[in-house]
Amino acid sequence: MDFNFSIMKDAIPLLVAGAGITVEVTFLSVGLGLAFGIIVSLIRLSSIKPLKYIGNVYVDFIRGTPLLVQIFLVYFALPAIINHRVDAFFAAISACSINSGAYIAEIFRGGIQSIDKGQMEAGRSLGMTWWQTMRFIILPQAFKRIIPPLGNEFIAMLKDSSLVSVIGFEELTRRGQLIIARTYASFEIWLCVAFIYLIMTFAVARFVGLLERRYNKA
Amino acid sequence: MSKDLIVVKDLKKNFGELEVLKGLNVSIKEKEVVVVIGPSGSGKSTFLRCLNYLEEPTAGQIIFDDIPLTGEANINEVRKEIGMVFQRFNLFPHMSVLENLILAPMKVRGLKRKEAEDLAREYLTKVGLIEKIDSYPDQLSGGQQQRVAIARALCMKPKAMLFDEPTSALDPEMIKEVLDVMKQLALEGMTMVVVTHEMGFAREVGDRVLFIDGGNIMEEAEPNEFFTHPKNARTQDFLSKIL
Repeated sequence: MDFNFSIMKDAIPLLVAGAGITVEVTFLSVGLGLAFGIIVSLIRLSSIKPLKYIGNVYVDFIRGTPLLVQIFLVYFALPAIINHRVDAFFAAISACSINSGAYIAEIFRGGIQSIDKGQMEAGRSLGMTWWQTMRFIILPQAFKRIIPPLGNEFIAMLKDSSLVSVIGFEELTRRGQLIIARTYASFEIWLCVAFIYLIMTFAVARFVGLLERRYNKA
Repeated sequence: MSKDLIVVKDLKKNFGELEVLKGLNVSIKEKEVVVVIGPSGSGKSTFLRCLNYLEEPTAGQIIFDDIPLTGEANINEVRKEIGMVFQRFNLFPHMSVLENLILAPMKVRGLKRKEAEDLAREYLTKVGLIEKIDSYPDQLSGGQQQRVAIARALCMKPKAMLFDEPTSALDPEMIKEVLDVMKQLALEGMTMVVVTHEMGFAREVGDRVLFIDGGNIMEEAEPNEFFTHPKNARTQDFLSKIL
């Protein structure tokens, strides 16, 4: 078969711009997911029954359904309920961050529960509140332990954000599809797309490794 | 005659079906050193942990300094006044010794950093570890960690101290340094409740010994009397095995 380098050369700047959008979606989603995740994990560890129940339902629902279906729900089903069109960017970010939040909540819960029970008891026995003990004693120790799984979550989201291409949101994968529709250079373009994802995930993995080493020294 | 600092009324604690404490009544006076002994699984640690509500009693009442404990409503107020020392030290590993000591005085008592640091230095000197002020817990021996833990509790200026088997996790050669600190505290008039297997300490420092077995206080006596003329058959049996 013919391998068309000139198509690749032309496509790369467009794809890289798409990759920028992929990175943006990933950062926003994991950032918001981090906020959701911390709140939900604390709620699930607290003793407030109704909140705990809501937290459990959230995590179970999100982890038990495909991200693709969640994206469809936000983009196609939500407008039917609120009677208003949902724009692709909003749908992409909300579906991905809600999804990421559930996984991050589990990561946090695991991290917090891995801290020896004696730490909470020591803090409480000194007269500190549950929240003070969480904030000054438990969470700082838990953070250290969850850097690797958090890095994995970031990488997973970087790749899974390709799913938002199905609602026409123009990130890296969608850009690739559009270029192929024009040039029919399927092989060349998907190869480029794959390679760009690889570079990004590799960079993130290296960065997380660095972070981990730094934290372990401290 | 000094007043009762800790009053325990009909204290019961169940873990599920299991009755661990079956209705304990004790009063502990100010400046008194009460040593709690008993076989493992007898409920002695649970009893101690109920005193500051680390375990919430199933029934009964704890009154500390005339204040009845009511769980979350006033527990933080009362815990400020009751220091606790754990078998496994439970120092905060991500903080230096100094930070371990000043955290609660600043966050709970509202002290300024400078005031808290002065307190920390005072108590570190007292436990003989002022030179370790900038060390981290994992750089200290078990005995040193436990002495730091005692200093940490003292920095809250508590009215009473609870010790939950403070030397059980230590190598034998480190037990003495911890017991010496505790002895010093007792001499200075600290009210102490000590769960321990150190019979020498009980005899020398204790004002009263409680023998707990099967969730009940089986015998309660002044140490000399307790060790030389135990009245209860269970106590006699227990002492014959350990002495």
